[in-house]
Amino acid sequence: MHRIVIRRLLQVIPLLLGVVVLNFTLIQLAPGSFLDVMTAEQQISDPAMIERLRETYGLNDPAPIQLAKYLWSVLRLDLGFSYRQNAPVFSVIMDHLPATVILMLASIGIALLVGVTAGVLASVKVNTIWDNLVSISAVFFFAAPSFWLGIMLTVLFAVKLGWLPVGGMRTIGADNGALAATFDVLHHLVLPATALGLFYAATYARMMRASMLEVFRLDFVRTARSKGLSRARVVMAHVLRNALLPIVTLLGLQLGTVLGGSVVIEAVFSWPGLGSLLLDSVMSRNYPMVLGILVLSSLVVAVANAAVDLLYFRLDPRIRAR
Amino acid sequence: MPHFSRRQFLAASAAGLIATRLDGLAHADTAAKRGGTLVASWGGFEPQSLFVPPGGGSSPYFTATKTVERLLRLTSDLKFEPVLALDVKADEDFRSYTIKLRPNVTWHDGREFTADDVVFSVLDYWKPISGGVSLKALTGAEKVDQHTVRLMFDQPVPEFFLKSILSGKAGLVIPKHIYAGTNIITNPANNAPIGTGPFKVKEWVRGSHVEYTRNERYWDPALPHLDRLVIRWWRDPASRSAAFEAGQLDIAAFNPVPPPDIPRLTANGKFVAETKGYANSAWVATIEFNSRRDVVKAREVKYALLHAIDREFIADTIYFGRARPSIGAISSSNTMFFSKDVPTYSFDPKKAAKLLDAAGYPVKGGSRFKVNVVSAGWFEENVKLGQYVKQAFEDVGVTVDLAIPDRATSLKRIYTDYDFDVAISNNSASIEPVPQTTQYYTTDGIVKGAAFRNANGYSNPKVDDLVANIAVETDPAKRVVLVHDFNRVVSTDAPLLPLIDLEPVTIARADVRNHSRDADFMGESWSDLWLDR
Repeated sequence: MHRIVIRRLLQVIPLLLGVVVLNFTLIQLAPGSFLDVMTAEQQISDPAMIERLRETYGLNDPAPIQLAKYLWSVLRLDLGFSYRQNAPVFSVIMDHLPATVILMLASIGIALLVGVTAGVLASVKVNTIWDNLVSISAVFFFAAPSFWLGIMLTVLFAVKLGWLPVGGMRTIGADNGALAATFDVLHHLVLPATALGLFYAATYARMMRASMLEVFRLDFVRTARSKGLSRARVVMAHVLRNALLPIVTLLGLQLGTVLGGSVVIEAVFSWPGLGSLLLDSVMSRNYPMVLGILVLSSLVVAVANAAVDLLYFRLDPRIRAR
Repeated sequence: MPHFSRRQFLAASAAGLIATRLDGLAHADTAAKRGGTLVASWGGFEPQSLFVPPGGGSSPYFTATKTVERLLRLTSDLKFEPVLALDVKADEDFRSYTIKLRPNVTWHDGREFTADDVVFSVLDYWKPISGGVSLKALTGAEKVDQHTVRLMFDQPVPEFFLKSILSGKAGLVIPKHIYAGTNIITNPANNAPIGTGPFKVKEWVRGSHVEYTRNERYWDPALPHLDRLVIRWWRDPASRSAAFEAGQLDIAAFNPVPPPDIPRLTANGKFVAETKGYANSAWVATIEFNSRRDVVKAREVKYALLHAIDREFIADTIYFGRARPSIGAISSSNTMFFSKDVPTYSFDPKKAAKLLDAAGYPVKGGSRFKVNVVSAGWFEENVKLGQYVKQAFEDVGVTVDLAIPDRATSLKRIYTDYDFDVAISNNSASIEPVPQTTQYYTTDGIVKGAAFRNANGYSNPKVDDLVANIAVETDPAKRVVLVHDFNRVVSTDAPLLPLIDLEPVTIARADVRNHSRDADFMGESWSDLWLDR
């Protein structure tokens, strides 16, 4: 077991290096550099000043040298300096990371709770109105663009009903202690996490329904029923546990895509996370920041996938046996 | 999407405006109320840093000017009012100016503001970093006494020109004790600027907001009226509309909400849509013809392509009436230098076709010739504008290869690689035309890699001479005549011309008072704004 954990974590290192090399190359291929954006924004027209900036930022080095320097600094756990934000990349990312992690966990939590519950309900009530309701809702939330859903939720719950805030992560200026601050963040989190989570819940619901129906047909379920176990016990203890395996796989895969999805949701809800920072950094060709975010998010995804693999061991005795 | 004609939009906006103006007049005699928190935003994104010394665009300018001040301010009726300077006086030959500074001013950290700070700002910040070519003629700055500074130039400098710098984007005064001996561009204080302004930075939560508190030691003890100012950022205009409606946003500058929302927001008088406050940052959408490309070099071809474009349609349909067709190279909002005495290019496709025939480009095989059009993709409207221009050109038989790249690629293609036949871009011009407007036409405006300058390669010695004369003419009336001459020549040669003058709008709750009174509202300190609650 320990050997497997160590092996999975060691596999993360070449993966991260691959992410750096691939993304560095892609950014180099994109036309325009952050110096173009910087000189435009800062109205710098003096050729000597532009040349000095090129030298300062190492842009006169050939691309492979720039890449080697970057890799060397990453290996020393230094993600570089963002001249756009006038701050170290790591520190800017750390300013935004908590918001993204909170949003990610909350939306995945909502997705799992709603998706798994809906999927189970649809499978045990197959071909009834409940099943149809879950299927229609799943299609709707999967098809609805998250920015539209976000705005609609805002109009209903923030503008019309006034129950929830329009955006942001906390009430500005509120200073009422840790507990009140936590509730304040949760209050602000409801709409963005729901808007993001419902999209993923739709996928989980469909996947869960199909997986449950497949497991229902297996021999061991028939055996459990013939032993006289209650329907609830069969569903919860036997069918659900086995049907969860594809959901766990999907969860691992989706951890990476949540960051992409949160770009839009963060924009709609003014949520101060990494998504907006990444978007702004791509648009301004702020590649130290883009690479820094991608390295960290790759790390999160790789570690999450390793955790998912380990979860398999817990859930599926057949894998432990192999 | 509902369509609003320009008239409908203006009528609806005017109704809301009148309602709230009447309400405002009713309170005209009311003394300003002290206190409250104003939540503000604008139609753009979060700044990269709260203060970006070389400029950095509108967003850091918006955040910096609440803490860092200038010597003068320019009101919307084009009068200079004192801020940190009490008096700016030219010597007889206009080669030097004496500036009397306001006494008893302190920086946010308690240090005294003196002539040393101004001399440092002029020599170490304005001249090498923020002023650029505007201060080419500056030869020195010296401290006369603790509250007097003298600026020296190697040529006569018009008073309006200098005062525009002192009240403009390049003229922020920074503390010597914080910046001396450091790299001003990367100084950590730029993320929490220390100034003399009415507000002090309390907290910047990246990605969310910046919070300012009242500067209790502000040089005008009656100001600021507000206790607290919060600038929040929403990337999405529809979310800003929702924030207004939910009562979580009080004021937002520079087109913060989708245009179709404006009539709805202002209809019941709860909000006001104000177009004043942008005279010193007049935004236009421009079209330019690359003079390095034979296909669009001939004057007749440029005229033909200009006649193919329906500017009224652009203003009404693409900008929902928030724009006016441009006349000449100087924006119509520039009441000091604008002139109608210039060639104009009305929408006339038949004339365009005749001009192209006469220029030796008859239709052959369905097309006269092909041009590549680059429409800078930094504004949503430019996407539509590019698509419209493609259709308009194709209607007169010109095939168009349209590209609408993202911001960085647009900058590179237009201003570094000069990779376009026709480019659609934008610029923001101050009332003073030198150099912000003139550098699009002068030979020394051609600087490869420098954005928002002469990218089309146009060079005309007559224009260069005119601009050189405008830069040194100290008689205001003669200067206006020279600018009109300049406008006439460049509008005739048409290397680059504004297509439409944008009418930026500020949306505010009706109980926000005293806003939009300056020539550049976003860039003022907002010390005199108050809440009538």
